[in-house]
Amino acid sequence: MARPMGPVRLRRTNYLTLAIGAVLCLFILYFLLQSGSDAPNPTSQNPNRPPIRKPTSKSSLIGERPPVRRFNLNNVTITTDPIGNREAVLILTPMARFYQEYWDNLLKLNYPHELISLGFILPKNKEGNAATTALQAQITKTQKGPLKDRFRSIVIERQDFDPPLVSQDEAERHKMENQKARRASMSRARNSLLFTALGVDTSWVLWLDSDIVETPPTLIQDLAAHDKALIVPNCYQRYTDPDTGKPAERPYDFNSWQDSQTAQQIATKMGPDDILLEGYSEMATYRALMAYMAESEDKKDLEVNLDGVGGTALLVKADVHRDGAMFPPFPFYHLIETEGFAKMAKRLGWQAVGLPNYKVYHYNE
Amino acid sequence: MLPSYSSSTTSKMSSRHHHAAYANGYPRGNTFDISPHRFQPRASTPAHRRRKNLLMRLGITLIVVVLFGLFVWPGNASMTSIFSLGLIGVSDDVLMDTVRYYDLSNVQGTARGWEREERILLCVPLRDAEQHLPMMFSHLRNFTYPHHLIDLAFLVSDSKDRTLELLVEKLEELQAHEDPKQPYGEISIIEKDFGQKVNQDVESRHGFAAQASRRKLMAQARNWLLSATLRPYHSWVYWRDVDVETAPFTILEDLMRHNKDVIVPNVWRPLPDWLGGEQPYDLNSWQESETALALADTLDEDAVIVEGYAEYATWRPHLAYLRDPYGDPDMEMEIDGVGGVSILAKARVFRSGVHFPAFSFEKHAETEGFGKMAKRMQFSVVGLPHYTIWHLYEPSVDDIRHMEEMEQERLAKEAFEKEAEERAKKIKDAFDDTNSQWEQDKSEIQNLAKEASKEQKSSSKKESKADSKKASSEDEEDDSTEISDRKSSRGSKKVKNQELEDEEEVDASQDTRKGSSGDSDKASDKSRKNNQVKAES
Repeated sequence: MARPMGPVRLRRTNYLTLAIGAVLCLFILYFLLQSGSDAPNPTSQNPNRPPIRKPTSKSSLIGERPPVRRFNLNNVTITTDPIGNREAVLILTPMARFYQEYWDNLLKLNYPHELISLGFILPKNKEGNAATTALQAQITKTQKGPLKDRFRSIVIERQDFDPPLVSQDEAERHKMENQKARRASMSRARNSLLFTALGVDTSWVLWLDSDIVETPPTLIQDLAAHDKALIVPNCYQRYTDPDTGKPAERPYDFNSWQDSQTAQQIATKMGPDDILLEGYSEMATYRALMAYMAESEDKKDLEVNLDGVGGTALLVKADVHRDGAMFPPFPFYHLIETEGFAKMAKRLGWQAVGLPNYKVYHYNE
Repeated sequence: MLPSYSSSTTSKMSSRHHHAAYANGYPRGNTFDISPHRFQPRASTPAHRRRKNLLMRLGITLIVVVLFGLFVWPGNASMTSIFSLGLIGVSDDVLMDTVRYYDLSNVQGTARGWEREERILLCVPLRDAEQHLPMMFSHLRNFTYPHHLIDLAFLVSDSKDRTLELLVEKLEELQAHEDPKQPYGEISIIEKDFGQKVNQDVESRHGFAAQASRRKLMAQARNWLLSATLRPYHSWVYWRDVDVETAPFTILEDLMRHNKDVIVPNVWRPLPDWLGGEQPYDLNSWQESETALALADTLDEDAVIVEGYAEYATWRPHLAYLRDPYGDPDMEMEIDGVGGVSILAKARVFRSGVHFPAFSFEKHAETEGFGKMAKRMQFSVVGLPHYTIWHLYEPSVDDIRHMEEMEQERLAKEAFEKEAEERAKKIKDAFDDTNSQWEQDKSEIQNLAKEASKEQKSSSKKESKADSKKASSEDEEDDSTEISDRKSSRGSKKVKNQELEDEEEVDASQDTRKGSSGDSDKASDKSRKNNQVKAES
């Protein structure tokens, strides 16, 4: 029909447009409401959860009133029966490379997982990024998996300093001149992880290197049962003997030792910034190494006192760290990293102990 | 919409001139109302469109129901992910609440932390500090650094008073403050008893013998507090003692601005006037000296050098003694040992392992050892000599004794003054008596005199003329006799001074004025007058 002049009017309602509009409205509304409903802190639901907070600054705003929380550290027990007393264990791992075997072994530990918190620190370089991705994938898988496998909490940290070496290759890593810088950097990584991850209810701290691929599943209980401030199992490596072609094992970690006169004499002649290293023929210290003390499998509970400890696997009472014992990134009595840690713990009155016949296994490159 | 020519052609009534039309060619009312071209509404909508409409409605209803369902059951993650096309990892958050990721290079600490929302951990070790808590909370209320960026950590150890109860009470009050900018971030109170044997009173606390073990225990307490509360999101750590009396509200920003790894202000304390008004308090901030290094070499492994005691003369330059009240507060000074009253440090210092040695680290413990260790790890350790905060003055036992003495002195003085006053009053009273007596006597005498004069007046009226002249002559006679008396007395005086005033003696008779130099002026005046009178006569 011919119409008089005037504004053109759509006579038919376009249902498609309406529908899209409605959907959009609801979409927007959904996100508006969602952000609001997300605000209550999930930590309030579970008082037992360690106080770890999301790194976003959004989580604490002006006007928010966090509660006053009291923690009585007199009630944190450290006993020989950690499972019976529900003692929290913190497993700390400085990680440069991710090994699937490490993660699998970690999952095999039969200490109740709801009492285990994990802490990782990774360098901020290409290798570190790759390891972080792999680690996060495994963590996601585990934490979404069956409830009994889930760990209590996991903290992943990235280092705020660059590792001194480009390569993590075995040969490069173990060069003597590189050792000091490498281990100083390692110490800083360990300390960063330790002092930020140590919770108010942690009873034990287990240092476990990322290349430890085999341990007894009862590792934590077994070591805790000795009731020692610092306790180290013997770290070995499985390999295939090239001569016989049969699987064999050899000692790997030489940082657990008893001090010798020779070593102390060498130390007195050293400058204040020099360090004593173990396992290098240029520096014959004649220390008694725990790596060579292994006798037979059936004497697993044999203890030896140590003056230096290795960090591949090391169970420490949280009190030792709380007193201030850390991994010196500088020469401390000519010792560095885990060996310096043993010395510092000793200065604070804590004795290190080793179990020569209790073995954990290092990855074979 | 113009009139169509086709329609006009269809009309048989066409003519050259449109009778029924306007001159402009627009049609009149019903001119073109011709049925074949009229719009005819359909009897019903076509089937396919009906189906489409129905589907559309169903779709809308379904979406509404789904969305409604999402609001009602927000935890339904699978629905959310379908709806958001998996763009938002909501399910991750819900399931993986136990996993945290931190990049420590984001929490390095910068000079303008308050703008970058850097979090501070404020650590306060407490022991039997109930009386100081109100003062500390007044400081907490006054900090200008955004409160929600500050996490508070307290360690309450071995307290026998109500420190813990009062602390909790005060903190809850603070968190419930009406001003939304007052509440702080996370607040943790750590309780741990170390079985401290050293008393907290000033004398036993600062005695030399107790220092080493006391400071090792203090260090232990500090380490426990820090290791339990430091988190990967902290950029700064601020250590503050509870007994700071006066400090600038902006102290956090002021110290942060210097962008140093470890920084301390100067700590003084006010004193009562009799002790000099003020005094350097914290002697633990110092620069290393050769003497001290040499001394350290002679000591055994577990010895701890404590500063501020005569037993160890270290000759170190102390931050405290370098203060100039009018100096530039931004002036920095490199130091080696730090005092623990107020330390601002970047969290990365603590993260890399620097702590308060509870053993003898390079012959130092606690905060001094902390400074030494930070230096050892190549961190910058700086003090501000002219930026001062004031520690509370707690009188020492000696001071208290002295104050007691002073108090006794004051009481004695007061008693004495009271006594003196009483005596004065007594004397005054006594004098008052005599005065009144005097007055009485005086008035009596005056009365008598008046009566006498009255009588005299009445009698004198008769012979007033004759008497007046006689009286004047009598006066003169009196004067002359008086003068002669004086001269004789003066003569006797002169005998004493003979040797000295030989010359004077010569003309003494002529000039009595000169001779009377030792006497009062009044007397000399009178004698002059008398001489004149004599001359006249």
